[in-house]
Amino acid sequence: MPILSLIAFLPLLGALLIAVLPAGNPNLVRRTALGTALVTWVLSLLLLLWFALGSAGFQFKETLDWIPAFGIQYKLGVDGLSVLMVVLTTTLSWISILASFGPIKVRVKEYMISFLVLEVGMIGVFIALDLFLFYIFWEIVLVPMYLIIGIWGGANRIYATMKFVLYTLVGSLLMLVAILATAFTYQSATGGWTGAFDYEKLQAFAAAGSFGHNFQMLAFLALFLAFAIKVPMFPFHTWLPDAHTEAPTAGSVILAGVLLKLGAYGLIRFAVPLYPFAAHSFAWPIIVLSVIAIVYGAVVSIVQPDLKRLIAYSSVSHMGFVTLGIFVFTAAGLQGAILQMINHGLITGGLFLLVGIVYERTHDRSIEKMGGLAAIMPLWSTVFGFFILASIGLPGLSGFVGEFLVFVGSFAFAPGIAVASIIVMVLAATYLLWMFQRVAFGAVSDFLTGLGDHLTDMNQVELVTVAPLAVLIVVFGIFPSVILDFLRGPIQAFLLAAGVAVG
Amino acid sequence: MNWADLGTIAPVVWAVLVAAAVLVVDLALPGRRAPAIAVALAGLAIVALVILSLAGHTERAFGGAYTLDSLTTFLDMLFLAIGAMTILFANDYLEPRGLPIAEFAAILIFAVTGAMLIAGSADLLLLFVALELMVLPGYLLVGFSRRDPNSTEGAIKYFLLGSFSSAILLFGLAYVWGTTGSTRVDVIAVALTRLVATGSIQPGLAMGLAFMTTGVAFKMAAVPFHYWTPDAYQGSPTPVTAYLSVGPKIGAFAIVLRLFVEALGPLKADWLPVVIILAALTMTLGNLVAITQDNVKRMLAYSSIAHTGYILVGLAAYAGGQHSGITAILFYGVAYTFMNMGAFAVIAALQHWPGVTSQISTFAGLGRRDPWLGLLMAIFLLSLTGIPPLAGFWAKFYVILAAVQGGGWLTVLAVLAMLNAAAAAFYYLRVVVYMYMREPAEGIEATRPSLLFRVGLAATGIVTVFIGLIPVFQTLASNAADVLKV
Repeated sequence: MPILSLIAFLPLLGALLIAVLPAGNPNLVRRTALGTALVTWVLSLLLLLWFALGSAGFQFKETLDWIPAFGIQYKLGVDGLSVLMVVLTTTLSWISILASFGPIKVRVKEYMISFLVLEVGMIGVFIALDLFLFYIFWEIVLVPMYLIIGIWGGANRIYATMKFVLYTLVGSLLMLVAILATAFTYQSATGGWTGAFDYEKLQAFAAAGSFGHNFQMLAFLALFLAFAIKVPMFPFHTWLPDAHTEAPTAGSVILAGVLLKLGAYGLIRFAVPLYPFAAHSFAWPIIVLSVIAIVYGAVVSIVQPDLKRLIAYSSVSHMGFVTLGIFVFTAAGLQGAILQMINHGLITGGLFLLVGIVYERTHDRSIEKMGGLAAIMPLWSTVFGFFILASIGLPGLSGFVGEFLVFVGSFAFAPGIAVASIIVMVLAATYLLWMFQRVAFGAVSDFLTGLGDHLTDMNQVELVTVAPLAVLIVVFGIFPSVILDFLRGPIQAFLLAAGVAVG
Repeated sequence: MNWADLGTIAPVVWAVLVAAAVLVVDLALPGRRAPAIAVALAGLAIVALVILSLAGHTERAFGGAYTLDSLTTFLDMLFLAIGAMTILFANDYLEPRGLPIAEFAAILIFAVTGAMLIAGSADLLLLFVALELMVLPGYLLVGFSRRDPNSTEGAIKYFLLGSFSSAILLFGLAYVWGTTGSTRVDVIAVALTRLVATGSIQPGLAMGLAFMTTGVAFKMAAVPFHYWTPDAYQGSPTPVTAYLSVGPKIGAFAIVLRLFVEALGPLKADWLPVVIILAALTMTLGNLVAITQDNVKRMLAYSSIAHTGYILVGLAAYAGGQHSGITAILFYGVAYTFMNMGAFAVIAALQHWPGVTSQISTFAGLGRRDPWLGLLMAIFLLSLTGIPPLAGFWAKFYVILAAVQGGGWLTVLAVLAMLNAAAAAFYYLRVVVYMYMREPAEGIEATRPSLLFRVGLAATGIVTVFIGLIPVFQTLASNAADVLKV
């Protein structure tokens, strides 16, 4: 059974189905979208179940010739890393769709279609094993997100969505040139187009040291730029606060939860293994940029007056740990980086959902106007507090494990870097707890009092959207090996490709 | 001349007959629109069948002045499609403005005939005559809306600069004839190969090359010879703009293929730097100016200049020794034709009622007002941006692949092309912003495209979505390009 194709294109089927449903019945549209996302989620869980943990390499492979003239294939396959990313995507997708039931009231049909197409693109990126196919999925992600921010976003949405698209497009188009140059180099060396876009063949080719050093430097820079913009790394991060702030709640969840991971995934899967020499050459500048991102994101978060903007900048800081963990080239570092990718998806996704719940009732996100929410919305405040502690990196919750492993991994590489980055955990506690204090505690603010009965606590649907995330945060915090077991193969392959001896 | 020669040029003969038939029908049934359209479309269908019946043959006619090969067939079909789509889109725009359709269709078919003749030219004289046959009706079409001062202004500008550039081109052709002693394409190629081998390129030939490059650059609207384009495009009736943005442009590239590639191919290393500079200037300037436009028609005029630049990247790749550059040019031509005509057609649909401008504000809320038209426009714009899996993406893909294969400066050109594509996203997506993210203005009358118009729109939409996913077009383009392989 072509389970990967099924998972990737089921949402598209749902989108087509919704397209022919009557627009006058938004509830039917909503339920169809949720149903599609849930079935996709269940299928991805089956994938997780059927995945053979012990065996190396890619599983569930599907290969079809697509454009034989250039050796372009429709080739899918997953390893431990991609399986986890696919499940993260499908989980956050249904949660986001459910969380959109209330807030999205206009053009529900178009919204749900965009969301499901977005899911196709995201899943595709994680399972494509052909560079050309990967690029196509990568670009498909762009359009629905552009529409989601631009149509259903906040007041400044058009500026934000254009900025998001233009930043991403500059990176991805340069990546296209690099992909084509890579394929052509392979073609010239082997004398045929067969396999020129095939990731496994290219990786073997790269492992044999067949890509010239100068070529590697240029190609790596192009890919790195595309991925660094998506992550986003300092100084390519400026699109993120705008996009996060203006996007509707579910859009922010997916942006933080999955889209940023596309960049990190690209670095791990493509940029480093294909151009290991260049990756090592640029490791130091990238590490420095990562540390700057970690510190800068945290410092800027402190002064943010807007809840969503604060979480957005904290994402810059948290994603800095991911790039740091990748480019120290140690097993612990990469374990930490991937754990951090997943944790950040769960925790920040949860934070955006919770901020969205308040925004639904207050239509305001400024921290200044809040105060004393704990008295009015006790359940919400408890859950919010939980996610904030997870984001700070409280031991026992998943955020801690990832950052700790990155710390261990980078300490072996360069102690100074590790120490600098770990101090930031104190800053994280500062901005998050201070924000929580201003929002939840103290006297109920005049603004909130003025809302009267509108300000109700979380309802059951809203609880259902955040509860799974909270459960996973606890589970991964106590048993990180649940994830790490999946990563053994990919991490070994990564270190081997990066030319680091596996101890 | 013998009867076999007539068989070889049958598509051109039939096309002329169709144009004449349209005029006769108009004489017999004056003022009736439907019969003229029916005869024109049915006639073009017959021409298509004639072209297809000759597909696969390789023949020469009139002592070698005309050649029929798979490149001729490929280009003929493309020109025919351009003509047919223009007619499908035209009546909805012309009728409410009281402009006749029969003359329009007849003039247009004459222009298409000229373009088809270019595709089969194997002689410089025939090439020039064919070119004039293509562009002269074009001047009439630009000024077709006689009472509209913008239309007249555009026509005069187009006519003056067009005649000027034709003269320059002719001057260049004369130099080639003077140097090589022949007007026959194959003879010139042989003579030039000999000249290049002996290393004796006379200054006269270099002059001729410069003149011809200038002349062709005018026709294809490459920077810095593009100044006629925005005014001619904006002033013309919108269906004419749709035609102008693709017909004469692909025609100019047909000249490039027959003249620069087939006849002057041996000199390609000498004009590589010129093409690279021309391509870089054309796409960059076209895009930068397009960003500042508030009129969608004018914006698309500048965007068409930018697309000329991308096609020139394919030509540069060819000049750099990559034959796949030719395939890329041909594929780009097809993809660009359909997506660009589609975009202009949507503008024409919005301008159904006289007085509706092509300002960007006309598009406000189109996605809500008319979901189908909005969706199609979004597809065309995303395709022009180069978002996969739409036509424009594949066009860029083949061009960039050819350039990257060339290496060196061509890779730099490829990177520049991609940066340009990213910048272009800004102005294309700005229209999408208006269509989907702004509220429609009050009191806009609904557009009601006729059945013919919808057929045309559906055709452009379907080709734009599926052309790249099915590798057939790529194979056809690659077969056609093989003709020019030395």
